[in-house]
Amino acid sequence: MISFEPTEDQKLMVESVAGFARNTLRPRIREFEKERGVSEAVRKTAHELGLGLVALPESVGGAGLGMTTAVLLEEEVSWGEPSAGFAFGGPGAFGFAVLELGTTEQAQAALASFTTDGGHTRFGAVAWGEPKANRERPGFSTTATKTADGWKLDGTKAYVVNADRADRFVVFAQVDPAAGWRGLGAFLVDKGASGLSILPRETTLGLDAVSFGGIALAGVVVPDSARLLGTSRTDFDAALVRFFARHALLVAARGVGLARAAFEVTREYVDGRKAFGKPIGHFQSVAFTIADRAMDVDAGRGLVWRAAAAWDAYDAGDKNARDEKECLLRSAHAIAFVHEAAMRCGDDGVQLHGGAGFMRDYPVEKLMRDAKQIGLCGMTAEHADQLAGAIALGAPVDPGLVLPTPETQNAFV
Amino acid sequence: MTIEFSLSKKQLEMREGIRGLAKNVIRPQALAWDRAGGIPEEFLRNMARLATSMGSNAMRSGLGDETDEEKQDAEKKRGPSGSNLFGVLASEELAWGDGGLLLCLPGPGLGGPPVRGSGTPEQKKRFFGMFEDLDGSPLKWGAYGLTEPNAGSDVSGIRTSCRKDGRHWILNGRKCYITNGARAVWTVIFATIDPALGRAGHRAFVVEKGTPGFSVGRIEDKMGLRASETAELVLEDCRVAEENLLGGEEKYVTKEGFMTAMKTFDNTRPLVAAMACGIGRGAYEYACDFVKDNYVLGRPIPRYSAIVERLAKVGRSLEAARSLTWRAAWMADHGIANAKEASMSKAMAGQAAIKACIEAIEICGAEGSIAKDHQLLEKWFRDIKVYDIFEGTGAIQRIVISKRLISDLKSF
Repeated sequence: MISFEPTEDQKLMVESVAGFARNTLRPRIREFEKERGVSEAVRKTAHELGLGLVALPESVGGAGLGMTTAVLLEEEVSWGEPSAGFAFGGPGAFGFAVLELGTTEQAQAALASFTTDGGHTRFGAVAWGEPKANRERPGFSTTATKTADGWKLDGTKAYVVNADRADRFVVFAQVDPAAGWRGLGAFLVDKGASGLSILPRETTLGLDAVSFGGIALAGVVVPDSARLLGTSRTDFDAALVRFFARHALLVAARGVGLARAAFEVTREYVDGRKAFGKPIGHFQSVAFTIADRAMDVDAGRGLVWRAAAAWDAYDAGDKNARDEKECLLRSAHAIAFVHEAAMRCGDDGVQLHGGAGFMRDYPVEKLMRDAKQIGLCGMTAEHADQLAGAIALGAPVDPGLVLPTPETQNAFV
Repeated sequence: MTIEFSLSKKQLEMREGIRGLAKNVIRPQALAWDRAGGIPEEFLRNMARLATSMGSNAMRSGLGDETDEEKQDAEKKRGPSGSNLFGVLASEELAWGDGGLLLCLPGPGLGGPPVRGSGTPEQKKRFFGMFEDLDGSPLKWGAYGLTEPNAGSDVSGIRTSCRKDGRHWILNGRKCYITNGARAVWTVIFATIDPALGRAGHRAFVVEKGTPGFSVGRIEDKMGLRASETAELVLEDCRVAEENLLGGEEKYVTKEGFMTAMKTFDNTRPLVAAMACGIGRGAYEYACDFVKDNYVLGRPIPRYSAIVERLAKVGRSLEAARSLTWRAAWMADHGIANAKEASMSKAMAGQAAIKACIEAIEICGAEGSIAKDHQLLEKWFRDIKVYDIFEGTGAIQRIVISKRLISDLKSF
């Protein structure tokens, strides 16, 4: 069946989250921006609405509502405040990382603290990026060295979302230096681990309420049980790509919400603003731009839905390689398209506002900054295109090429 | 209901059937048809029989789905028809085989929707009746005559005149770029009783071949879709019987006449969008295969990342257009007004597919511009441009869309 109609349950959830976005988030975007975060009361409400655990399966303590429900709700939240999906707290990218890379037992244990009362006060984070490319060999400079009963981690990780808020990290490090980007390992690390320090939070172009930072690891020792292995070496690399695609698809859903917000405030503005005796929306150059951006929003949403539906089918099925490719390809299409579409909506939004668009009295300048920033979160359009291209051409999905790395282009994860 | 994008068993069977046919039978002949400027009748007859056996009504009642009223009646009986989705899925596959073939298939074509939507029961019986027998000889086509030398996108500017004379109407004017115009057994011709009346003055007639004063002008020589016939039609004191006024006199008490002309497009634009997706996909797949064969992907990477990125952009643009196309068709199947969404699908698909064809040639380099069997890039490049032009240019689609987004916007 091809159908564009959400279930009745989904409609109800969308309605309530849309109300929350309209009444609680949108009126306070400048407050969140100034405070560089979302206040605890708002985060608490978000967790009471169940946001944050939507896409995680019940087997690991999630709501088990699936990716389709998750993208529907992420769009609404982001329409209200594009930072919110990252800043609400909860496992975030960490959740997908342990889900894809860990065993069920590891995932259950790692996610337990997020599913109990007070979950909104806890953040998870993924320490993936690094400040500089390794000049000696492909792969990360951060290393994991085997000890008698565990691993010792050394290095600096950068571009980490919620680094200073997180209670737990998935840290990526080089396990096999000779194997390049196919020699990575993933480790669960608590923020209190000896030798771990949190680097200062960065000031960024947009998404001001999201914390972007990094961590330094100096001889951090973790037990063997902290290593997320996947089911095999080959599966680890595949799981790594699945983690990125899943997470970046949710970011793309936020991009749709952002694009829609920029489109809507601009549509309203060109309706009301008069020049030469008529609303500026009655001039073709303006009206056609509005039409083009409406197509961007709708097509972006269509691609995101299609990818989310593919993930739900994959999760419900026997997880074969063909379905996996379908998920990765659809996600890559959605991610790349939406990143660019959201940027166009932000850019044209400011442009059609004219001088007013540049002023902080209007929300559209924030949305334009947020659009560029969100395009650097999860996966960039460039990497999503490399992923889609590799699948379309039947080339091997090489983590070093299709994922954002310091060798090519870092992204915030 | 839920959000999902898997095809039903029936849809999959249909798609596999047409895919095989397109690959093994249609594609190998496409270049020859393009050069000959037409497709042999026997082939068209077989294709028409096949399409009918697959459940298509296009050979009997033309392109597009039933009108809203017909659909509402039908829906009460059997739920959403799914025929629009079926149509866009089939159109994409057929166009992947050859875009020209689709336009050459016999049947009322674009003339079907206005007769279906506005014709009296007697007219429907008379004008569709002649399409019942596919085995009869020769094959028959219908056509749609709206565009004039001086009025294309601005339909309200048509100048072909009509005046009542006893039990006849006298028509004078010229119609151009009419698909299957020369061979059509009848053409729906739009004319005006008085240009000063604007839309209220419009009348639609079914003008039959052989009507005194009705003749074929030039057959156009085109950039692409050369297998499809595009003709000029000339009306010189053409005497049309009053029973051929579409819908009868009472239909024109309101502005209905003009709306008849426009209604045609809400149902057919997603079909055109799907055709564009099919041609664009053909070019995209060809370029992917070419890169696989010629770029030796095992070599050190970022070397070809630029090519990979260009292909990926083409792939995702086509997918974006397809999602808008499926949505527009899905809405039509569910009786949801879709004028805006239908225009969105065509506006995006036209551009995405043109870009796909241009990029494919560039990626393949000199080789890509050479015409030979099984290498149709140059043909697709020529064929695809018109998909952003016919049934409303990209600019017209944006007018349709923006009028539904911007308050109180009646015209520019």
